[in-house]
Amino acid sequence: MEPIIEIKNLTKQYENGRGIKNINLEISEGDIFGFLGPNGAGKTTAMKLMTGLIHPDYGDVKIFGHSITEDYERAMAKVGCLIEIAEAYAYLSAFDNLKQLARFYPDVDYQRIDEVLELTGMSKYKHEKPKKFSLGMKQRLGLAAAILSRPKVVILDEPLNGLDVEGMIDIRKLIQKLADEEKTTFFISSHLIHDVELTCNRIGVIYNGEILNVESTKTILRNYATLENYFVSEVERNGRLSSSVG
Amino acid sequence: MAVFQAALVNELEKLYKKKKALAALLLSLAVIVIGQIIIVGVRSGFGLRTAGSMEFPMLVLSVVVNTILPLFTALVTIDSFSGEFAHNNMRITLTRPVSRLKIFAAKITAISIFILATLLLLLFFSIMAGFIFNTNSATLDSFVRTVFSYIVSLFPMVVLALGIVLLTNLLKSGISVFFVSILIFLGLKVLGVFFSQYSSILMTTQLDWYNLFLMKSFPLAKIMRQFLIMLGSSIMLFTAGFYLFDKKEL
Amino acid sequence: MKLTKKTTMVLSFTLGAMLLATTAIADIAAKSGYDQLKDALKFTAAQCSDNLKSFTMDISYDVKDNGKTLSFMNQTEKCDRTKTAREETTSEQTINGNNYSRQTYFDKATYIRLSNDDPTYYVTEYTQERKDMAFSNPFKENNADDAEKIADAIVGNLKDNVVVTENPDGSKVLSGSLTEVQIPSLINALASFEMKQQFNGQQDNNLPHLSKDVFVKTIDGTAKINKDGVMESILGSAVVSGKDEQGTVHAITIEVLAKLTNINSTVVTKPDLSGKKVVKNVIKNENSGPEISNPQEFMGKFKNDILITKDGKFVKVGERIIEITQIDQTSATGRYYEVYKTGFDQYATTKRDFSFTATKSKDKNSPEYKFRTDAGINEAFFLDEHAGKIYLNESTTFSEGGIIFDSTFSPDLE
Repeated sequence: MEPIIEIKNLTKQYENGRGIKNINLEISEGDIFGFLGPNGAGKTTAMKLMTGLIHPDYGDVKIFGHSITEDYERAMAKVGCLIEIAEAYAYLSAFDNLKQLARFYPDVDYQRIDEVLELTGMSKYKHEKPKKFSLGMKQRLGLAAAILSRPKVVILDEPLNGLDVEGMIDIRKLIQKLADEEKTTFFISSHLIHDVELTCNRIGVIYNGEILNVESTKTILRNYATLENYFVSEVERNGRLSSSVG
Repeated sequence: MAVFQAALVNELEKLYKKKKALAALLLSLAVIVIGQIIIVGVRSGFGLRTAGSMEFPMLVLSVVVNTILPLFTALVTIDSFSGEFAHNNMRITLTRPVSRLKIFAAKITAISIFILATLLLLLFFSIMAGFIFNTNSATLDSFVRTVFSYIVSLFPMVVLALGIVLLTNLLKSGISVFFVSILIFLGLKVLGVFFSQYSSILMTTQLDWYNLFLMKSFPLAKIMRQFLIMLGSSIMLFTAGFYLFDKKEL
Repeated sequence: MKLTKKTTMVLSFTLGAMLLATTAIADIAAKSGYDQLKDALKFTAAQCSDNLKSFTMDISYDVKDNGKTLSFMNQTEKCDRTKTAREETTSEQTINGNNYSRQTYFDKATYIRLSNDDPTYYVTEYTQERKDMAFSNPFKENNADDAEKIADAIVGNLKDNVVVTENPDGSKVLSGSLTEVQIPSLINALASFEMKQQFNGQQDNNLPHLSKDVFVKTIDGTAKINKDGVMESILGSAVVSGKDEQGTVHAITIEVLAKLTNINSTVVTKPDLSGKKVVKNVIKNENSGPEISNPQEFMGKFKNDILITKDGKFVKVGERIIEITQIDQTSATGRYYEVYKTGFDQYATTKRDFSFTATKSKDKNSPEYKFRTDAGINEAFFLDEHAGKIYLNESTTFSEGGIIFDSTFSPDLE
């Protein structure tokens, strides 16, 4: 089967020596891909590259066969994303914020906006401005924005940031629901091992800007007691055990 | 094109929702009211006619093109670029299926529409005030010339906006862009005085180019030259600004 | 595609730069009518001061109120550079209704003036030849550059209002016309205010009194430039409109005309003074102020009286005397002494008597001679060639014992 996301030799080095080196990944339809790694491993860099916020030194990302660097509009047509902190225009209401985005998709109408607000539990804050929102509410609004266009692919960077337990469960359920009902493919980064274990069906470990291994959650749990054991052993295998895991 | 339109509508909605339009409207009205008060004062105090009904709009224009209009343009431009960079708001649109060129163009188009709207607003109210309070001196010719003068003032203002766009993509903070813009503006004004023979290439002198449309003898060659100079600078500034905008890492 | 994006950007930037550069060069090269006018003025002034043998310049202005003349001036100026002579005939009617006329003649050695109210010819003869009196180029004056910059700045965007019409024979007509819409409001207001001050009703009663709705209506100008580039005439006119107390509209027209005629064929004649009443005056040169042309005149004795006041009267008690025994442009030697009349010896307590060797101030135009007395005090005297006096500048001035101090010394010619 054709991969939906195809990352080839993706490289981006910052002046401070951080960044990612030669990342190759293929994400297929139906995957809930967990991108696991400690803080500063290069998760956000990789996701910014995937969504065109920054430009790679080498390599390319293709989504549905369209290159992100060359054919941005088509590559992003069926993608929804939430990178780093969810941003919204502070002077526009939650509804108006989504309305702005809806204009880019011909088949998204106001009814759909209400739908995603409902899905993320933001309906009652529909006409409030994000100025007064808590981090968790902003994160929910960001998720609503990401799934607004009924995307086939959703790229989420630390989606559970700032959410309380209830929120985490809600979002996890939402991801499961979309994956089951709409066959949405997810690419989720997180540094929370437990969360990745619960949500994702395929897991890639990134460490110091490089991918260590990609394996399905089932296979991992067959061989290791927990995902954490797997992660530690992967890092150890590569001779770079770090206490910063977690 | 549909995507560009969406981006443009978004930019306009943001301008509108930010009360920028309202602020511009109120300030423009204030200018007209203050101008009219001064004129009535001078007229009754000194016995000068100062401005007839058709001169009043020209008086207003000659003041605003060098003061509040560049100021509005700078504020709106800085807000649209520096402001969104600073609040990370640029990401909201940049991760949508729309190319950076379209977003860049939409922003500049929205700023241009804002400038044009302000000009038309000033034109309308100054003509109204001119007719109500001042001695009637209108002829069809002077009316047409006045309307024309206001509309053509859009071009140099867009060149100015493009210059500020370039600055917003060069400098990090909006405040430094604002002050650098003011310094450059004043610097160019001074240069225009000392090197008046080269003044046609200076943005600040171009602001007054509407005067060319007021002349009895329509100086077509001069107008064409001035237009092409502005067009050339616009293309350069647009390209340079977009180059930086496209490279920007968010 | 990535390459084409970059290429597109480079191409569009280059296109913009080329467009800007070429039109900017064309625009700077294409001289505006205003620049041509300036060039013609400068060229004409240079021609008048350096090249033309002779010419006649007519300058006139008139001010009219609804067609009725309020004031005018006509001045004909004939210049002959070969003889370096100039003749001016002026007649004017001031805004208050007074008439004047005046005739003047200048050459290197003479200045003759005749006014309408006095049949006397006032003649001034200069012993030193003066500078070229025919015509001096105003653009070569100091500050001319600054004045030009200021004018450029004021004219600003109105520059292009000057329209150039070229005739087949190479001559040109420059013309410009501004109506109220084109005149910048500030300039209009200032000019109107000035005009209102002129016609504020405090002058003669037959002048209109503008009190309301004063504004500059039009400004027109035309200049004719001959095929050699010399400006032959320039006419400027302005109409200021305003209402008086009764609400009558007055259109005040101001016209200024300058013409250059009889190029190389003007004859300047010195007025014939035979049989006329003449008052003659001989001076060194026109600014014969402090400069001394002939210090030798000051050889000899100069003195003043030493006075006291006594019983409400001035009483002479003696004389102060400066005796110059040698003097030239660099130095002077002589003696200062005081002589008291017999019977007034009691006043001679401060009697001074000293010789001096003075050196003239380095400043060529200064008539100051400095010296140092035996007592070591710096003093100086000044020669006044005009009045024929010496001024002694003593650093110690004293009027003890009721003596009145006087520093002016007149020649002792007895």
